[in-house]
Amino acid sequence: MPAYFLGHELSTAFALARHTFQEHLRNRSFSVAVLFSGVLLYMSVLMGVLAVDQEVRVLLDFGLSFIELMAFAMAAFGAASGVLREMETKTIYLILSRPVPRAAFLSGRCLGLIGSTGAAVLAMVLVHLSLLWLKGWPGQWSYAAALYGIGLKLIIAVVVGILFSLLSTSTLSALTMTTIVWTLGHFIPEIEFLLPRGAGGPAAVFLQAGAYLLPNLQLLNFRDRLDAPPLAMPGGELFWIAAGYTLFYSTACFGLAYALFRKREF
Amino acid sequence: MPGDPAREYAAKEHALSFRDVTKTYVRSHLGRTSRFRGIEHLDLDLRPGEIFGLLGLNGSGKTTTIKLALGLLAPTSGSVSIFGHPAGSRSALALMGYLPELPYFYPYLTPREILTFYGRLSGMPHKELEAKTSRSLEKTGIERHTDRRMSDFSKGMLQRVGMAQALLHEPRLLLLDEPVSGLDPLAVAEFRALFSRLNQEGTSLLLSSHSISEVERLCHRAGILVEGRLVKIFEQKDWSKEPGLLETLFVDMIRQNGAE
Repeated sequence: MPAYFLGHELSTAFALARHTFQEHLRNRSFSVAVLFSGVLLYMSVLMGVLAVDQEVRVLLDFGLSFIELMAFAMAAFGAASGVLREMETKTIYLILSRPVPRAAFLSGRCLGLIGSTGAAVLAMVLVHLSLLWLKGWPGQWSYAAALYGIGLKLIIAVVVGILFSLLSTSTLSALTMTTIVWTLGHFIPEIEFLLPRGAGGPAAVFLQAGAYLLPNLQLLNFRDRLDAPPLAMPGGELFWIAAGYTLFYSTACFGLAYALFRKREF
Repeated sequence: MPGDPAREYAAKEHALSFRDVTKTYVRSHLGRTSRFRGIEHLDLDLRPGEIFGLLGLNGSGKTTTIKLALGLLAPTSGSVSIFGHPAGSRSALALMGYLPELPYFYPYLTPREILTFYGRLSGMPHKELEAKTSRSLEKTGIERHTDRRMSDFSKGMLQRVGMAQALLHEPRLLLLDEPVSGLDPLAVAEFRALFSRLNQEGTSLLLSSHSISEVERLCHRAGILVEGRLVKIFEQKDWSKEPGLLETLFVDMIRQNGAE
């Protein structure tokens, strides 16, 4: 019996993930964003020209940063608007009036969004690689590591976005909160640096809370290490730590989102 | 016109059962909490194989009643069950089909894609889903429009797709919220025939409507909701003596119970 329920839960989550994936791919603004990214990646050639002998390096850095930023924008917008739109347009009625567990609804939404944003990242990466190939870039493994980090950040952005969409009543506020968390998440090492040096009082409490609650996105920032030769720690522990951290953080956020969604009335 | 099949059923379970159900909406805004009555002490049993009509003015609690049955709302007190299963549980939802007053669909999908999606959510195996999708589309008269996007559809067509998704998994209980509102006379006649046919096949129907004539023609019993209270249940024999009698009974009940 539990196997049946687990099977049903998984199959409905996958049906919803598939639907979300399809929804995004058919969305005109999503396609336009991917197309625009491709064009802009190729336009970065102009910037490369200005860098003279560091052309490939500039193209590499700009391209990966741009891909990450676009991936975040797509993931955050999709997550912040998706569930709220389902509620506003009442399409959620016909989903939840079927035997769809609420956890399956949320996980399906998350998976579909991760999948569709991942597909957009893949398309942008192909454009970027073609550009680098034209410029004679020999290729390096750290590029794959940077993409790995982007992928992990994407997962956190999606889950955090969905959590905020359930906490707020408008897409704009959910998107704003997700962006703030995303931005501050890149400053965790700085926050940790300031903590022992700063004065006590409310500021210290605030910083401490931030250090605990915000996602440490710098831990997943392999992009910054593109040119550092010993990218991975011995045995590649850094990758495992990053994956474990992403799993832990996104599971915690998902748990909170589920707790909010479980008893919600429509 | 159906006879009185409800009495012929010997099933012990009620298709739908409300036991002293009260629903109060609580809204908080800027520290102020306000409460609105949705449903008050509702006791109602829907017999298996019966068509039950819910009549009432706007805001009388018809949609709240349906949402409580679906588990989209939780009762403030009391209990709701469907064929003995608690409302909102997976086993209860598997037995129900729902047509909302204004069915909203994803505009970029076609009716076939919509039905496939909902069928998957209902856990229908692939082969069965294909066959039942075609059957539902045929039953609701949209088989010729299966490849058009929902964004191109009129309100009546959307209602037909709404009906098709409600029938897809062959539920034992159908909850229909204003099923014929906004439909043209031909579609109304087709829907009426469809409801009768489904009922003859054993499906129970709860029909919320403003259209008293529809309830009069289709239902075995009709309940009048006034400001969240079920004030009276009429049997078919009460109104079948002369055409239009249900409307008179309805108006009398509303006046007697002082609806604003």
